[in-house]
Amino acid sequence: MQTEESSTEALIDSTPMVEFAGVCKSLGNRKILDQLTFNVKRGETFVIIGYSGTGKSVTLRNLIGLMRPDEGSIRVAGEEITTMSNKELEVMRRKFGVLFQSGALIAWLDLFQNVELPLLEHTKMSRRKRTEIVQQKLELVNLWQDKDKFPAEISGGMKKRAGLARAIALDPELVLYDEPSSGLDPVIAYEIDKLINRLRDQLKMTQIVVTHDMESAYTIASRIGMFYQGGMLQIGTPDEIRTSEIEEVQHFITGGREGAVSRRSTTAIMKGRSPTFSARLEAGRGVEAAEPSGDAAPTIMELEPESSPIDPENKP
Amino acid sequence: MKDFIGLRAIRGAGYTLLLLLEALGYINHAWKRRRALFTQMHVIGTQSLAITCFFMLLVGMVFALQTGIEFARFGQTSLVGLVIVSAMVRELGPWMTAFVLIARVGSSMAAEIGTMKTSEEIDALEVMSINPVSFVVMPRLIGYAIMGPILTIFGTLVGVAGGALVANVQLGVPLDDFLRFAERGAEPLDIYWGLLKSLVFSLCAGAVACANGMRTSGGAVGVGRASRNTVVVALTLTVFLNYLLTSFYRMVKRLVAGIL
Ligand SMILES: Nc1ncnc2c1ncn2[C@@H]1O[C@H](COP(=O)(O)OP(=O)(O)OP(=O)(O)O)[C@@H](O)[C@H]1O
Ligand SMILES: [Mg+2]
Repeated sequence: MQTEESSTEALIDSTPMVEFAGVCKSLGNRKILDQLTFNVKRGETFVIIGYSGTGKSVTLRNLIGLMRPDEGSIRVAGEEITTMSNKELEVMRRKFGVLFQSGALIAWLDLFQNVELPLLEHTKMSRRKRTEIVQQKLELVNLWQDKDKFPAEISGGMKKRAGLARAIALDPELVLYDEPSSGLDPVIAYEIDKLINRLRDQLKMTQIVVTHDMESAYTIASRIGMFYQGGMLQIGTPDEIRTSEIEEVQHFITGGREGAVSRRSTTAIMKGRSPTFSARLEAGRGVEAAEPSGDAAPTIMELEPESSPIDPENKP
Repeated sequence: MKDFIGLRAIRGAGYTLLLLLEALGYINHAWKRRRALFTQMHVIGTQSLAITCFFMLLVGMVFALQTGIEFARFGQTSLVGLVIVSAMVRELGPWMTAFVLIARVGSSMAAEIGTMKTSEEIDALEVMSINPVSFVVMPRLIGYAIMGPILTIFGTLVGVAGGALVANVQLGVPLDDFLRFAERGAEPLDIYWGLLKSLVFSLCAGAVACANGMRTSGGAVGVGRASRNTVVVALTLTVFLNYLLTSFYRMVKRLVAGIL
């Protein structure tokens, strides 16, 4: 009996919670996501790092179904969400908790009501039960004493913590965080990190975290994916990323102190230029973890970045 | 073709209409969202009462003064009561109240929803599987539709009172005379018609405000644009609708008179 149970559990565990395969998305005239491919296993905390304004938030928005990709497939718990109707999406989203970059609290509700909102909308709990859960979640983020305050009356960091309390109010299977620690003082940022780890260890939640903060990334990540020019340049454990030999990755994680990034890439980063799949392949010479195999790939990978005549705007 | 302005306007109009219908479809959520609804009725109605009354009082006074000057030339100043009541009940009351509400409520409603949109609150609702049309738009639209006609009643009464005041004090029309003619200014049907017009204006202005808010993009600039567009479009739309409705009403009345 015992073994049977654990074997079915293992079976479920083996399907990834989230699968991106060849996802492309253009906004305006720019291709923000270009053949983005990665998996997130059940129960792990997957951290996405990458330069500002490159498309990490867009990645999350595609995952939640707020945006639909132009190409490719996104599966959540094995179910394809890119082709779901709005009704099906609504059902699917109950498995999600999302912490938005700015907290996204409803302005005319106080913190208590904000956290209570998902319970009120989606469950038939008694008022007492709701209060109990709201208290538990708000205490988790150290905001119970501020429960009567309105979003306009609290700091950015408090908004974010309240947003987190709301995101986990319904104990979701999958929690997405868009920069949970930006705008927080180091102590509270660390509190959030510990909270994320606790959610993983105690509640077995699968979590995807977008962050700029490498310290926090190393603390919470099961695996880290470096987002670069529309896709994952490298995916690996914190140690693998720390010791990465890819210059772009070193450049990012050391804050530009190490890893001379080719002039072409730096310009592209600064100008926020269109990312291209080929340029990314080139940067990731020989890193196969993140890359789908493409026909043009091998020849491009042999090119030296400096001598590359490839215009980032044009794919060969 | 993509940026052809007419096409954008048509798309906007289509979106507004669909939003209006969708929001009305969620009217069965009104009880569940009664708190939001009451809040909106308070913001739209109670808080606009003073400015609406002040505005209508002066409109009534100016109107009485101007018509009084003309009537005086024919020695018919006591007729002001009739003109004021008929104009107030059928035209000035509903439309001027709509005008005040668009300026005071419509613009801020668009800005509020627009801010929610740009600060990801609308997205957050969607992610929580809470339909933003039911949660945000419906209470505002229904609140608007309820309070518009109610404010019109107050506005019209105050407007007529303003007219009576001017007629009495400045034109020297005895109150009795004023009231005698005032009674003939409007029949019950006219009153219902005025309220129906007010309802139509309220739904239009509310839908335009909410649609502009929901379609906001581009940060603070976008919020400003949404608010401005709301005022321009809602005013144009209501003044145009007013003309159509008045023409229609006249036609119907003449038809009915012909049959009888
Ligand atoms: N709705 C949209 N329409 C057009 N362009 C968009 C839209 N949303 C995002 N973009 C563009 O896509 C790019 C990526 O944006 P995104 O918000 O994903 O960046 P990010 O990686 O999350 O950056 P940050 O770390 O600063 O939050 C940006 O250049 C932005 O201008
Ligand atoms: Mg972002």
